[in-house]
Amino acid sequence: MVANSNSPLGKGAAARLVEVSRIEAGFFPFALILPAVILILLVVGFPLLYSLYVSFTPYELLKPNSLNFTVARALRNYQKLLNDDIFWRSLLNTIVFLAVTVNLSYVLSMALSQLLARVTVGQSVLRTLLMVPMMFAPILVGMQFRWFFNANVGLVNNFLISVGLIQEQGQIAWLVDVPLGMITIIIASIWMNIPVMTIILLAGTLSLPTETFEAAEVDGASGWQKFRFITFPLLAPFSYIALTIMSLDIARAFDIVRIMTDGGPARRTEMLWTYITRLAIEDTKFGLGSAMSWITVFLSVLFTLYFFRQLVKARIVR
Amino acid sequence: MLRKLFLTLVMLALVSAFAVSAQDEAQYAGLDMDLSGINIKMANIGGGQYEVMYDAISIFEEATGATVEIVALLDGFSMDQKLKVDFATGAADYDVAWDHTSFVAQYTPFLLPLQDYFSEDELAPFSPAILDAATIDGNLYLIPRHADVSPIHYRKDLYEDEAIAAAYMDATGEALTVPTTLEQIDRQARFFVENGHSTLGYTLAGKEEALTGRFYEMHFASGGSLFDENYEPAFNDEIGVAVAELLASWYADGVIPSDTTSLLWDGVAQYFCNNDVAIKLEWYGWYAYFQDADSCAVAGNFGLARGFTGLSVGGDAVRPSGWAGAHAFSVPATAPNPQAGVQLIKFLSSERVAYEEALLGFLPTRGDVWDRVIADASDAENPLDRERLELARIQVGEDFKTPPLIAEWIPFSNIFYPHLQAIILGDVGAQEGLDAAAAETREMMADAGYY
Repeated sequence: MVANSNSPLGKGAAARLVEVSRIEAGFFPFALILPAVILILLVVGFPLLYSLYVSFTPYELLKPNSLNFTVARALRNYQKLLNDDIFWRSLLNTIVFLAVTVNLSYVLSMALSQLLARVTVGQSVLRTLLMVPMMFAPILVGMQFRWFFNANVGLVNNFLISVGLIQEQGQIAWLVDVPLGMITIIIASIWMNIPVMTIILLAGTLSLPTETFEAAEVDGASGWQKFRFITFPLLAPFSYIALTIMSLDIARAFDIVRIMTDGGPARRTEMLWTYITRLAIEDTKFGLGSAMSWITVFLSVLFTLYFFRQLVKARIVR
Repeated sequence: MLRKLFLTLVMLALVSAFAVSAQDEAQYAGLDMDLSGINIKMANIGGGQYEVMYDAISIFEEATGATVEIVALLDGFSMDQKLKVDFATGAADYDVAWDHTSFVAQYTPFLLPLQDYFSEDELAPFSPAILDAATIDGNLYLIPRHADVSPIHYRKDLYEDEAIAAAYMDATGEALTVPTTLEQIDRQARFFVENGHSTLGYTLAGKEEALTGRFYEMHFASGGSLFDENYEPAFNDEIGVAVAELLASWYADGVIPSDTTSLLWDGVAQYFCNNDVAIKLEWYGWYAYFQDADSCAVAGNFGLARGFTGLSVGGDAVRPSGWAGAHAFSVPATAPNPQAGVQLIKFLSSERVAYEEALLGFLPTRGDVWDRVIADASDAENPLDRERLELARIQVGEDFKTPPLIAEWIPFSNIFYPHLQAIILGDVGAQEGLDAAAAETREMMADAGYY
């Protein structure tokens, strides 16, 4: 309820009423969302804070008494991880995996989205086909590609043998050799992630104003020039959103890696989340695993902030 | 009168014949308690042949009035993870849990000691070696289900070919016989590969606990020990280095598959099944698969022999390999109905159920079941069926050796196997890799309070 200047209450009273209404209105929306906030705090906030607490303890799953915080050893898990070569190796592997997968996925998705945008007949069928990889659980994708690249009975080696490119005794150990192990995981991951990125970029492309392209055509711009100087810059906000979503998703790589190489051999493809699982669940060192999870989350937040700053810049430019 | 007497005698004869025949049959156990209205929850290993045993549960339900609810059917490593999480969170609300001699030491604070629930007579049929492995600090935590240990598997065609035998004699100066030592295996495997008689000379699982276990086996067969009496790492000794160097040289020379470090049991078995491997240690449990001519090219073309003795660098301490383990049942300390759970375990580990499972190819853990399956195999069409069982009984009785029964076995394995993989792949030298593994292991054991 808003009092106007003709109110019989007079200006001062009306102003007070407006103030009270604002306060009421200000509280009321919060009251409405309060149950949801409490629920989220319980479901998300508490476990997060609890895992932060656990990360400062030597907690081991099968030793309940080890869930014991002491100031003297509070930072021991973090110190241990910073001195742990495997942690740094898994971080480096994750960064390499992330950088290559995201960038290659982006290039391929951009190409696919531009091709799809130009299809006039059967576009809906093509879009549906494109989304097929999204329908598979990551664990199934991992199993499928593990079989493709199996040295003994895999599709790829058998094909190479059948066309005479390799001998039966010279089977390629795709999942073992450096850098083939990482490459096979990247291929599987790209296959699974391209559809989402392509759909986002396709939606962006279809939403671009046609006048700009018509004007460019009148000026005699080539197809490449239209893409380079119009499509690509105008798609920047979509690109940043797609890249952010995909980066966070790919950085959590677990299922595919776990199934295809399980971080091995000899830690060659160990990623952050496979190492965290090994520490926290298999080795039961939950405190150490929690500390590593928090370092990983911290890095992810920094990464996301960077991308969102780029996104804001891109929107201002646009 | 005579007629009545005759009928009585016939009846008596029939009853005694029935009684003898009933005694001759393997018997169930655990059916002597009224458990009406109790719902027994069981978390168990699943997949393939493992689940056949659970068909017998309906007999237990009918006899006792209990109902049995299987709340989990997972592979062994997934069960291990489930048990750890459930024990840690107090969510182990089941009465019977799958267990294994390699894993049990981790769970002991969360398990019910079972010695008071089983009489001496009830435990007497089980292999003493396995019961020893099931007993920690004087408490019995496992009742064995079936055992496993590995004999040498070899391709018969390679050993029956006179031309190959003559060539081997020329090349090495010794007769080509089924190997009994690791050094013989090394010489023969290399010979078969170098001369094109076999695609591969040997195979072994190359990751996780499977790799750690195979190293452990080769190391102790050569006279070594993973840990000394104070639980200080001892695997980086001269014997350990020799074993690791042997594995690395096999990999470099193509004796073992190029993807060894990504192989687990199924992948290793596949190579042998394809007739591509000359010699290997393999679990008995794969026997039926290898003998299936529809699935495996090696069917009918392989023989079995006792596990090898280790490298001579161990001197007089060399002994037969025999890394072994047993699948088993345990009762969680938080079980709502522990006595009912024990009754179900008595039933599932009874002579009758164990015998029926042994018929599928699993190795029994009970002496009475051994007698039955060996007697059954005496008139088998394939003499290897009987030889296999006789050999297995010797290995289970004499060579059965579990990994160290410490809670840190799996964490140790997770430290150790990536280092051994690095050695095999040639990323680091044997001594350097084992020393690095020993340093990490020492830190882990110190954290666990061993020193």
